[in-house]
Amino acid sequence: MIEVNNLHKTFKSKKNTVVALDGLSFTAKDGEITGILGPNGAGKTTCLRTLYGLLEADEGSAIIDGISVTEQPLAARAKLGIFPDKFGLYERLTAYEQIDYFASIHGLQGAAKKSAIEQVIKDLDMEALAHRKTAGFSQGQRMKVTLAQALVHQPQNFVLDEPTRGLDVMSTRVLREYLSRFKEKGHCILFSSHVMQEVAALCDRVIIVSNGKLAAQGTPQELCDLAGKTQLEDAFVKLIGSDEGVAA
Amino acid sequence: MIQFKALLKKELKEAFRDKRALMVAMMMAIMAPIMIFAMSKMMIKEMVSTPAVYVKITGSEYAPKLIKALADDNIKLFSDVPTDDAMLWDERNIQLTIPETFAQDMMDGKRIDVYLNADFSEKSMSAPLRRIKAAINQYAQTIGYKRLLVRGIDVNLLRPVNLIEQDTSSPSSNFLMISMMLGLYLLMAAFMSGLSVAIDTSAGERERNVLEMLLCQPVSTLKIVLAKLSCASTIAFIGVLLTISLTFASIGFVDLTKIGASFSLDLSAVVIIVAMLLPICFLASALQLFFSFQAKSFKEAQSSVTMVVMIPAMLPFIMTFIDDKPKWFDWVPVTGQSLIMEDIFKGLAVDWTNLALTTLITIILTAVLVVTLAKKLTSEKVVQSLS
Repeated sequence: MIEVNNLHKTFKSKKNTVVALDGLSFTAKDGEITGILGPNGAGKTTCLRTLYGLLEADEGSAIIDGISVTEQPLAARAKLGIFPDKFGLYERLTAYEQIDYFASIHGLQGAAKKSAIEQVIKDLDMEALAHRKTAGFSQGQRMKVTLAQALVHQPQNFVLDEPTRGLDVMSTRVLREYLSRFKEKGHCILFSSHVMQEVAALCDRVIIVSNGKLAAQGTPQELCDLAGKTQLEDAFVKLIGSDEGVAA
Repeated sequence: MIQFKALLKKELKEAFRDKRALMVAMMMAIMAPIMIFAMSKMMIKEMVSTPAVYVKITGSEYAPKLIKALADDNIKLFSDVPTDDAMLWDERNIQLTIPETFAQDMMDGKRIDVYLNADFSEKSMSAPLRRIKAAINQYAQTIGYKRLLVRGIDVNLLRPVNLIEQDTSSPSSNFLMISMMLGLYLLMAAFMSGLSVAIDTSAGERERNVLEMLLCQPVSTLKIVLAKLSCASTIAFIGVLLTISLTFASIGFVDLTKIGASFSLDLSAVVIIVAMLLPICFLASALQLFFSFQAKSFKEAQSSVTMVVMIPAMLPFIMTFIDDKPKWFDWVPVTGQSLIMEDIFKGLAVDWTNLALTTLITIILTAVLVVTLAKKLTSEKVVQSLS
């Protein structure tokens, strides 16, 4: 479970001050897929980076499975699987070696590590890729490797920052399917996205973020009802466009 | 420990698979013996050979024995000059005038005046002129001694004071040149060999978007920095080892005895030098990582790190121009090691306190750099510059 309470974050530079998060609060529950929607610059990535402990909030807290990110960043991170905003691969390593690397960082070793790696490779149907160097992989193949390395230690919570960006239909389906299966096992999944159809199809709950604040939250259907629209996209535009929607 | 092992294993794997970076690293090592080989070959050629000198001698027919003595020293008549060199020697215009009365005066035991005309201020002529003077003096002295000897007089009467020159630069200054060069080169190798690996693992990883992922993992930045440092310094150290062994292998092909030099570092000296350079490898890699992580891009890292690293690598070079070395040179990293190496090459005893002190300071400096860097990596500034 991921809890975010009243997060404030301001970036100051000599010339200007940007308020990225302005009192954002939400909860992502176990066994649910929670989507963060928001226009560009709404503070989605800042929020997720605060969750990873890369950024320190000015105020408020992020708590993962009861562990405060600010107080015990390493312990909190151990509970997380991360699919970052920009993901790169170690191009001189094979897919297997890269997954192995992240498994070891999470403290897996010996037979347990080996079976965990083999399991995740099988789940993602990437046996054919496993022993190839990752240089020259397609976007879909890169996504699989990144997904595998994030999930090899079977984290309770899984955070994805715009995972479907640049993916073709087939890869998106693989990802979606995998996330659903992961949810079934009772894990908590939090992901940010721009793509409405995807959010509508996949998410149990949607959090709409605008200007660093929570604009609305609920199931996709609840949001549509709240905005009085039939399409989530229209509801989204209405909710971030007017202050009326800041209800929930 | 599992984490550190995994981090290090991955760094080493990547480094050894990066053929280009490895090639750059080993280039230094391969260049070293070639350079030293070429330099010593050149030096030997210059030292051993006495190139022919052509003198315009007037009255050579009056003193055939003197002419022969000169010829033994490769000082020849201008009439024998090969056409290629004729212009040069005509221009140099060294003239030796032997009087008509040479033979008669010699018989009579009179002093004979022989004239040497040349432009003595011309630098390029100093060596030939010195040889001509020495040859004639030698010739005159030999005859003088013989005259005394036939009169039953000890020739030592002519030399009340005898100056014996003892060269303290043991075993020979030429040898020292070669080993000093090796010393400078070893320090350079320590600094240059790991360079590309260090940049690739820091600024390179940031540019390839893998650093953010790593920083999000439940692993302390200190471990990350230590793994990267160990990897880069391993490569640097391999560079040093390779330089030293290749030099030893190649120096066997140069006949150093021709210039009265020998290259015989004993094993214990080599062990001391290698052990001394190990902390330097770590310091060099720490410096490189430190500045490379600060750079905004791979390219910026390459230029800034190369510049920063050149300074300590150049220190020993600069030092050779400073005659009166301040005391702190003894224990400052790089200069300290360089001075100790100089002592070892000169065959002097190693100053263990200096060695310990400079090693300690090198290690402390490295530790400070590592801790600062680990701290910097947790700061928001680094994260913000990720995207």
